[in-house]
Amino acid sequence: MKQVRQFLAIIMLSIVSIVLLSACGSNNNESSGKGVTINILQGKVENNTQFKQIAAQYEKSHPNIKVIITSVGGGSDYLGTLKTRMSAGDEPTIFSVAGPSEVSQFRTKIADVSDTKAAKLALPDTLDAVKEGKKILGLPFNLEGYGFVYNKEVFKKAGIDANQLKTYDQLLAAVKKLNAQKEKLGIKGVFSLPGQESWVMTNHLGNVFIAPDFNGNVKTAYTSKTLPLTRAKEYKRMLDLEANYSVGNVMQTDYSQQVSQYFGLHQVAMIQQGDWIYQTVAQIDPKFAKNGIGMIPIPVDGYAGKMPVGVPNYWAVNSTRPKKEQQAAKDFLDWLYTTDQGKKDVVDLLHFVPAYKGFEGMKMQDPLSESVFQHTQAKTTTGWVFNGYPVSWEADTLGPDVQKYLSKVMTWNELVTDAKQAWANLQSTK
Amino acid sequence: MLKTKSKAYWLFLAPALIGLLCVVIVPMLLGLFYSFTDWNGLFFTKSVGFSNYVAAFRDSGFLNAFWFTVKYAIAVIIAVNIIGLGLALLVTQKIKGANALRTIFFMPNLIGGLILGFIWQFIFVRVFAAIGTALHIGALTGWLSNPQTGFWGLVILTIWQMSGYIMLIYIAYLEAIPREIIEAAEIDGTSPWQRFRYITFPMVAPAFTVSLFLTLSNGFKVYDQNLSLTNGGPYLSTQMLSMNIVRTAFTNNKLAYGEAKAIIFFLVVAAISLLQVYFSRKREENLS
Repeated sequence: MKQVRQFLAIIMLSIVSIVLLSACGSNNNESSGKGVTINILQGKVENNTQFKQIAAQYEKSHPNIKVIITSVGGGSDYLGTLKTRMSAGDEPTIFSVAGPSEVSQFRTKIADVSDTKAAKLALPDTLDAVKEGKKILGLPFNLEGYGFVYNKEVFKKAGIDANQLKTYDQLLAAVKKLNAQKEKLGIKGVFSLPGQESWVMTNHLGNVFIAPDFNGNVKTAYTSKTLPLTRAKEYKRMLDLEANYSVGNVMQTDYSQQVSQYFGLHQVAMIQQGDWIYQTVAQIDPKFAKNGIGMIPIPVDGYAGKMPVGVPNYWAVNSTRPKKEQQAAKDFLDWLYTTDQGKKDVVDLLHFVPAYKGFEGMKMQDPLSESVFQHTQAKTTTGWVFNGYPVSWEADTLGPDVQKYLSKVMTWNELVTDAKQAWANLQSTK
Repeated sequence: MLKTKSKAYWLFLAPALIGLLCVVIVPMLLGLFYSFTDWNGLFFTKSVGFSNYVAAFRDSGFLNAFWFTVKYAIAVIIAVNIIGLGLALLVTQKIKGANALRTIFFMPNLIGGLILGFIWQFIFVRVFAAIGTALHIGALTGWLSNPQTGFWGLVILTIWQMSGYIMLIYIAYLEAIPREIIEAAEIDGTSPWQRFRYITFPMVAPAFTVSLFLTLSNGFKVYDQNLSLTNGGPYLSTQMLSMNIVRTAFTNNKLAYGEAKAIIFFLVVAAISLLQVYFSRKREENLS
């Protein structure tokens, strides 16, 4: 009996000492005196330095406020970190959420931000994903858009005006023309379709043909019990076109080959991608990136010349933090998106395409962002609904199915049936 | 001699015990608990009984990953052990540069799994395709773009990585065989095959226990090589158990469900490993 007691005593002692030791490390959150500290956790690591510069600037002009930026990147890592910090009680004041499903996961921790200036200036439709009645649960980071990014010189040599490719037939004619003079143009193929990256074919290409079913509204898609997929034929037609005229083995191609190798080295005429590829292309060939590329929308019947533009991430303010801190967080976001200094930083430092009014007349930092910005200003945009796909529908059903279709182990009709069925199943158990 | 009664015994054991408690036992029990709830990483609202486990056995993705992992583990165990033993026999012969060869064979093991995956991806996708196109060998093009080449790609990568390590274990046992037994057998006029079959083989039998255990548990737990070589593609056909679990939990955000799958995974691996060690031990005892 004695040794058991001793054993327990030693265990208890050690546990106590561990608790004491770890407590020393984490009690410096609350001790900032009069000032307020805003902790920001976000997932765009590529913008980490710029966010920190902005924070330093803000601290200078607002001496009572301290802004701490933490950036965690790489898709799943961000959510994991956010959850860990929340369960550990080390909660950020501002964090980012991607769409309706993430909003609903963190719903109990998200404050209403409809009283901010930024919320009132946000472009119509950009708040669809975060609206809950009159409440607004997030503020858009920025806008992103995608389409066919093309090589201007190749198009010029082939005598094609990219801006005239507004319908499928026009695109098809251009593709055939490009394909016929491949050698003369010095390209290996018209497209490069990355068969390994299902999101390019399902989230992006799929969205173009699925969005019309839901009027381009992500919330409608998120709550819809069924998937009409009325444009399945059109979807197949475009996927086939890209696959048939693609360079190399489609199922062996990944994102970096598509963007860096094939497009960056001028081996293909165009790729289906978005404004985010600019930095990658610029690293390979800065001149080409700056002057040699442009972006056109993917032609869809009835939506000629419209580019799918959406909000990849939203800022959410943590409702469980003290009121004072929440207010400071809202002030910071307002400052970032509505003051002259903040706006300048958004465009010049972060290279964001703004999702707010009041940026008219500003010039984006690169041609692809500029193209997205122009479409936004001219209101020739359609929505992104893929953040409203049922969770795991893309990863477990549509993504693998599209790859099976491209590998010819599944027919398109089977794909359509399977996709609809899985959608209905997932939505009914949500 | 330390006795279980003495304070010092427990005191010296305490750091290890506490470490084990904090990073293995407590998380494991918590995980077991969460697998019976609808935990989402932040909180849980109710207990769901065994429904996560039931769902796992009806989840075709999980079952496919399971079979794929089993097939992979079998292929790897056989190939790695044969090649490892072969290499060990080779470098324990009196040949020039045996020591250099040992180092070379062991080297792949020093490279991390992720990097290995990317190296082999390059070899399979670019080098194979280049050779295949130049020599008109259709079989060398399109690697990793279908389930079969994805499977063999993973097996080849693992052989390349693990064989050197397993070789070291076999070398240790081979070198422990007393020379005089071999010499006596030579004088008796045995053939090299007989010497291998009746002397070397039984004497390295304990090494099989260790090596089979290592290759088996490694084969089941592979994640990084899988991630960097095929990332589960094409169409999830080369997705292994670990990857399926990680995706369920973190990509699809069903943490409790992922936890349930992980518990099943743990039980299966533990059962197979324990059985295997038990039978191998028994065999060794019979031999000696």
